[in-house]
Amino acid sequence: MKLGKQRWVVRSTIVAACAAWLYYWPLFHIIPLKQADKESAAKGASFEPVAFVEGFWEGQLLPGQTRAVDAADLIAAISKDRNAAQRTYGRKVGLSSAYFYFISGTGRVVEIDKHSIGLAISESATDAEVLLETGPIFGNAVRDATGLLDVNNFATSQDFNAVSSEINRRIEADVLPKLREQATVGKTVRFLGCVQIIDEDTDLLPLRAVPIVGEVL
Amino acid sequence: MSLAIALSGCNSDNTTSTGSAETASGKKKIAVIVSTLNNPWFVVLAESAKEHAMRLGYNAVVFDSQNDPANETAHFDNVIASGYSAVLFNPTDADGSVANVRRAKQAGIPVFCMDREINATDAAVSQILSDNYSGCVAIGQCFVKEVGESGEYVELLGLVGDNNTRNRSDGFHSVVDRYPHLKMVAQQSADFDRAKALDAMETILQANPDIKAVFCGNDAMAMGAYQALLAAGKNGQVKIFGFDGADDVVDLIKEGKIVATGMQFPKLMAQTAAEYADKYLNGEQDLQQKVPVAVELVHQGNAEEYVTVDQEDSE
Repeated sequence: MKLGKQRWVVRSTIVAACAAWLYYWPLFHIIPLKQADKESAAKGASFEPVAFVEGFWEGQLLPGQTRAVDAADLIAAISKDRNAAQRTYGRKVGLSSAYFYFISGTGRVVEIDKHSIGLAISESATDAEVLLETGPIFGNAVRDATGLLDVNNFATSQDFNAVSSEINRRIEADVLPKLREQATVGKTVRFLGCVQIIDEDTDLLPLRAVPIVGEVL
Repeated sequence: MSLAIALSGCNSDNTTSTGSAETASGKKKIAVIVSTLNNPWFVVLAESAKEHAMRLGYNAVVFDSQNDPANETAHFDNVIASGYSAVLFNPTDADGSVANVRRAKQAGIPVFCMDREINATDAAVSQILSDNYSGCVAIGQCFVKEVGESGEYVELLGLVGDNNTRNRSDGFHSVVDRYPHLKMVAQQSADFDRAKALDAMETILQANPDIKAVFCGNDAMAMGAYQALLAAGKNGQVKIFGFDGADDVVDLIKEGKIVATGMQFPKLMAQTAAEYADKYLNGEQDLQQKVPVAVELVHQGNAEEYVTVDQEDSE
């Protein structure tokens, strides 16, 4: 009789342990279908760079032009002390010796070649001080120069890179054709653009800018 | 002047130990879990991480996952059970490694990714990553300049599950695909492996004898492609482009036998990861999730500056 009671206690303990185990670590979860659909959609959701850039362009990039340094001020600062100019106006991304400038201003067209339009910024200048690139546009100058986009806000680096490609595509489609068509030597161009400095010996004068805005006045 | 010059003082001469953690008196332990030690590039990465962790006052042990996610999981089990304070981590798989990082996080062990990304931004404390995309944009531009705007070419890809493979290819194609007369006649994975690249290139050459160039996702594959082209007598006809900045490739760039590569900085990534771990363990919480590390274009005009600067081989 005593042995039977002991067996009953052991069995009860095992059942209780199993119940506790299954409570905390169930073999399956039951969730509402709607929730399952949502989770599944979220997991499979892919990043849409075109839609993202559409919103970014109007919502952040164009309004963000107040962040840009005036090209005339930057050129003066660089000619005085390029290291100080970089510290004051430049932007670095991660660990890199390259850096970026986000610039705006107006300039007089002094030269036009296959892939760029040269602008003199100061009235006395005869050579190009800023070269507006007129395509094709490569790299991450616009994505990285403004400080408006941060890799940490994107799920993967591939998404972040896709933003760059789409920004460049959009510039080529929406900004460059009109600029190339209307710019002639002697005309004035208002611009907003991004510059990447990789080699200070060649990239500081003239500044090569990818135009976000390029308006012939 | 460049990251290369900034790093010229770095070196890596300590040995790599493997196995379970030592129980040193008073010192915290840091685990360096690396995807493979079968490739010298990763040996440099792992040894540099270990060396910098030790300089910062930790005991450090290297675990080799041998490119096998199961080994990586076992290493994380070991690290979690053995009381390590942090993990400096080079993942085997962008998706597959996320679960390991999450388990470590749940166990209170911060993880810092080096070189390779994981596809989660809420698991590792920080990810110190080569900017492969930008590096390959620069290589793509160099490619068009050197090869011209028309002709047939080949691409050798790295490991398909690695985000670096995709980012390198995407960066390259973001440039080259803009030139419709540049035609990619073959694109094949050779797993970042020199021997596989040699085999792949030999096969591709038989079907495509008129190619003008080959872009390789790392320098080991560039060396394999070079060997195949040399054996076929086509090394003068086909321009080779690599990625990583391995010594043997930089030497061949100087000799004009390979056109260009992208210089990566594994020691800088390892050092930064170790420093971030130290900062975190000392209470600094405000660390960036992702830190891109620049990749610099190496070509015949500047190859002299990059000889034995930062690494011994390629990823």
